[in-house]
Amino acid sequence: MIHATLPNQQKDSGLKPVDNRSIDASVRLPVIILFGNAVHWLVIASLLSLIVSIKLIAPGFLGGISFLNYGRLAPMARDLMLYGWATQAAMAAGIWLMARLCGCPLGGDKGDGLGGMLLRTLIISATILWNLAVLLGTLAIFAGYSTGVEWLEYPHWASSMLLLSFLLIGIWSILLFDRRRTGRAEVAQWYLVAAFCCFPWIYGTANLLLVWKPIQASAQGPIQSWYCGSLLALWLLPVALASVYALLPRLLDCNPNRRHLATLGFWMLLLIGGWNGMDRLIGGPLPAWMTSAGVVAGVLFLIPVFIISINLLGMPRNETIVSSNFPVRFFLMGLYALVLVGVIGALDSLPDFSGVVRFTAFTEAKAQLWILGAVSLPLFGVLYEALPQLLGRECWCSTLSGRHYIITLVGLGMLIALMLLGGLFTGIALTDPTVSFLNITSYSYPFHLMECVAQLLLLIAALILGVNITRSLAGDYLLNKQTGK
Amino acid sequence: MHRLPTLLSGIFLVFLASWLGLVAYPALQLGRLTPVADADNGGTLPPVYGGQAIAGQRIYAMEGCISCHSQQVRQTSITSSDVERGWGVRPSVARDYLRDSTAFLGSRRLGQDLSNIGVRRPDAKWHFVHLYHPSAVCDGSLMPCFSDLFLVRKIQGQRSDEALDLTGADAPKEGYEVIPTVEAKNLVAYLLSLRHDYPLPEAPIKKTGPAK
Repeated sequence: MIHATLPNQQKDSGLKPVDNRSIDASVRLPVIILFGNAVHWLVIASLLSLIVSIKLIAPGFLGGISFLNYGRLAPMARDLMLYGWATQAAMAAGIWLMARLCGCPLGGDKGDGLGGMLLRTLIISATILWNLAVLLGTLAIFAGYSTGVEWLEYPHWASSMLLLSFLLIGIWSILLFDRRRTGRAEVAQWYLVAAFCCFPWIYGTANLLLVWKPIQASAQGPIQSWYCGSLLALWLLPVALASVYALLPRLLDCNPNRRHLATLGFWMLLLIGGWNGMDRLIGGPLPAWMTSAGVVAGVLFLIPVFIISINLLGMPRNETIVSSNFPVRFFLMGLYALVLVGVIGALDSLPDFSGVVRFTAFTEAKAQLWILGAVSLPLFGVLYEALPQLLGRECWCSTLSGRHYIITLVGLGMLIALMLLGGLFTGIALTDPTVSFLNITSYSYPFHLMECVAQLLLLIAALILGVNITRSLAGDYLLNKQTGK
Repeated sequence: MHRLPTLLSGIFLVFLASWLGLVAYPALQLGRLTPVADADNGGTLPPVYGGQAIAGQRIYAMEGCISCHSQQVRQTSITSSDVERGWGVRPSVARDYLRDSTAFLGSRRLGQDLSNIGVRRPDAKWHFVHLYHPSAVCDGSLMPCFSDLFLVRKIQGQRSDEALDLTGADAPKEGYEVIPTVEAKNLVAYLLSLRHDYPLPEAPIKKTGPAK
């Protein structure tokens, strides 16, 4: 398989970029720990999502045990998807890409000395802290200590641990950028800097005002919506896009010329992304101008989405590379998912349409497509690209990779289609007050039933990825044992 | 744009815009809303929660009720279906949430909206039976049983006044009774206090649909 050489060596700069081997050596352990744990959380989150969807067709399934009620399992699944999988994989991707793009090993030239060792220990401790916080936070929801704030259900001590751990890891991406040896910064690097700056701000503010020291509840709605929108559009999406900007042109072996378009896309995304979550509250209890801002932002969000997708999908593609290279295929699918997110988001923000579909599976479909499509698919791409380079050998079983790709796409496509359709049906039925609510619930049964199948496919896909990565890493261990002997 | 400070200040300024609009503004304006005087009985609106209801919010949060239930009646300019369905007599406004510790606005309606459940279902007994086994009173409901919030115990002397009137398969064995725990009582007290049926200056009530 062709691999991308990051960075291209002809860059001008005062300092000579360090060769990729020593850069990879400096980030290998933390990046592999982050990616490995992320995949394991993805498997658990997919399992919980499946259980949650089964509960919608058989409310008695695993019933009578308070720990296993829908109200506890659903936020556990969502938070594991967000913090266990997506955010963790984004940190891994971000650190690896930043070190490579900057031509600079983690910890600078003193990487081999005592300072470098201390630094590595610190970062590895931070990755362990992150996973510990995710585990404890999840168990806390399980045990009934949820805060009841959507997407921020982890108790205050778990969220503080997450923030601290992120700061310890994220600061290095900024420092690497500051010490880069590759001259002119790439678009991918801007996205990474923006993402790593935004996450602590978003997560810190939202937790401070909603969890640590909650402000008066009348003001909590907009802040919560802002958090949901910003987390996706200003943290997860920028990392996913950075991966595509950094790797896709190199894998396709073409020059991404239209830099002005990329610049425009970057600033538009940053400007509009923060307002993007307000469509969750159209018609809700807030001043009218905020509803209007939500409508405008939802529609305007199409601009950066279109600019970015024209920029990236418009590159000349060599079809033989596309068909043989899984990272490329994941990147392209991620971009298509992003376009669909933009279109659904714009529709969803139109007041009349929003009045019909809000609170149904339709809006939930958008959130799922964001997390599992626009964000996760490019992150899978980086994972497939990064691991062989970090391990220094081809490590993936291509049969398993192929199955993972196909089953993920089928499962995701099915899930989104069902939720959009089901949401539309229930939404239309809800507008007629003569149709009773329980009647509408029974309409959605076939959709819920098929959603279980889709969730099962996604679980199988996650399991395949889990087996594939475990196999790769175990292979590395066995190889070391052999050569060590 | 190739130097860190330039890039960082650009990001800062662009990000600041949404932060000011959606975080700082609500925190300063909506976060400082005050109760208004109630002309009818000399109290304040929105009504103050009782101690049990305040404790009940905790149970509402920990059981994740928000996963399926919203607590907002949408503006009639967006949709009139919330009001027509009888989920409220007027749209909810920010001031309604003044007494809550967390605004459980919700984003999904797998179950019905609860912003006026205290008006729509004022009977605590109904809530206890419903929580114990939802589909016993609402056939086809997707809601899980919260039987952990109840205690099955042997009747000591006389049957307790609090015991649930259960029939059919739900009824406890002869000589036993099902009584709500403190958590269940708090949760129901909270549910009963959920009401947005009073007029506020920014949300007057039109005469068409008086609260029952």
